[in-house]
Amino acid sequence: MQEPKIKFDHVTKVFQTRSQSILAVKDYSMEIAAGEFVSILGPSGCGKSTLIRMLDGIIDTTEGDIFIDGQKVNYAKKKMPQSILRKMGFIFQQPNMLPWFTVRENIALPLRVFDLKGPEWEKRVDELLELVGLTEYAKAYPAEISGGMLQRAGVIRAMVHDPEILLMDEPFGALDELTREQMNMELLDIWTRTKKTIIFITHNIEEAVLLSSRVYVMGTHPGRLVEIVDLDLPRPRTLSMITQPKFIQYREKLEGCIGEIDLSKIK
Amino acid sequence: MKKKNKLISFLAPVVSFLLIFSLWEIACTVNEVPTWFLPKPTEIFRSMVVDFPEFWPHILVTFEVVLMGFLIAIPVGLLLASLVTSFPLVNAALSPYITFLVTTPLISLIPLLMLMMGFGLNMRITTVVIQSFAVINMNACTGFNNVPTIRRELMQSMGADPIKTYLKMTLPSAASDIFTGVRLAAIFATTTCISVEYNAGNTGLGSQIIKYSQYLKTTQSFACIFYVTIIGLIMYGLISFAQKKIISWKE
Ligand SMILES: Nc1ncnc2c1ncn2[C@@H]1O[C@H](COP(=O)(O)OP(=O)(O)O)[C@@H](O)[C@H]1O
Ligand SMILES: [Mg+2]
Repeated sequence: MQEPKIKFDHVTKVFQTRSQSILAVKDYSMEIAAGEFVSILGPSGCGKSTLIRMLDGIIDTTEGDIFIDGQKVNYAKKKMPQSILRKMGFIFQQPNMLPWFTVRENIALPLRVFDLKGPEWEKRVDELLELVGLTEYAKAYPAEISGGMLQRAGVIRAMVHDPEILLMDEPFGALDELTREQMNMELLDIWTRTKKTIIFITHNIEEAVLLSSRVYVMGTHPGRLVEIVDLDLPRPRTLSMITQPKFIQYREKLEGCIGEIDLSKIK
Repeated sequence: MKKKNKLISFLAPVVSFLLIFSLWEIACTVNEVPTWFLPKPTEIFRSMVVDFPEFWPHILVTFEVVLMGFLIAIPVGLLLASLVTSFPLVNAALSPYITFLVTTPLISLIPLLMLMMGFGLNMRITTVVIQSFAVINMNACTGFNNVPTIRRELMQSMGADPIKTYLKMTLPSAASDIFTGVRLAAIFATTTCISVEYNAGNTGLGSQIIKYSQYLKTTQSFACIFYVTIIGLIMYGLISFAQKKIISWKE
């Protein structure tokens, strides 16, 4: 078998606070191949964010290892080197733009931090702005544009340094339903064209089925993997698929998984 | 409509200014208040112009001490706040001394500083710096500690080095808190400078206020006080200008 792009090998994370230790993620394993689009689905507080924050070097692991391209990337207490971080782009739940930079400066920020200089990179910024229709807002400040535009800016900022992996933490959760659907289709379009590996976190079942090839369902107390559901739906996906029997079948299956989690919580 | 509002907000303080000084003038005239007790505003303004050559060197001295002390206090306060919020060890080592400087009434330090440094400008500037850097430090610390976690995570996700993180993210995040400190520091600087001049030497507007009131030349005393006010206003204007230039964004 081909080496997985991303591999979690029995990863556990315990947060140590002053009064208690919180078992946020317990014994989590998964393998994702290059170019795959997978979702992580689960109720809030089940450790989804913790999971990809560990992958992106924002927090460290307590036990177990994480591999990217076969290379171990979690160094206990040590910062992840930029050579590995460059392979990833992180899209936050909020747009997380820096208000003192213009839209273009915000999008170019990873280039400045990763020291990527030259006209080809600057051209890439302009192309990405064009791709999501932000060209005429390039010089605007974040406070001057709409929520949907801000989140688009967040998406292309994560792509500007040409990472192989996109990590998305409930990226469109704060948007209204219509904008969210539109962003989902744009994202699929970007994925089809660039074939990046995408880990998409959501608590929205429909979104997970619509976008991904596989869904990792997580449960709470402790945060853990409870089910892996492969989605055998044709691509390209369209919004009209939502009403097809197969789609509904998957949706109900996932609802079942989530329901069981909720029930077990009550007990 | 907007134009009208602007006009009103410009005229309102001018009118109230004229009103207050007219009332003062009338009250003094009608009640025949002796000049040594409370001079009329017109007399004070006259003295500000007529005695200007006499005041000018002292205005310069005071302004120099206030400005220099203030300009040194800003980087000192900022640097200290940056160190304290970045390194817990520095924080533990220094915070007792900063608290000491903030809580000690400065007047009690002046005789000691005079003993060590004499009456000159160095001593005055040092006193102003000691008194005003602490508020900058305290407000900057608040700003640095309140940087949203999500912004830190953004820089972390790119493995940004400490200097880039500081310049591109931390410092601008704290900018409005820092300016609050700078504004307070300007007030502290002026107050401190005048109290030092009350106590030490015979130059500077503070020393002149004391001198004139001892000779019952209350009008000149008031003229000097008004010049102190003008120095305060100039500082305020400079800071507002800098803030508008530097913080051009909306959060
Ligand atoms: N920095 C932290 N310190 C302590 N506990 C944390 C921290 N981050 C997350 N947790 C805890 O870990 C659990 C999982 O959180 P999170 O990964 O944010 O869940 P999700 O993203 O699925 O909503 C929660 O119980 C949360 O309170
Ligand atoms: Mg989360």
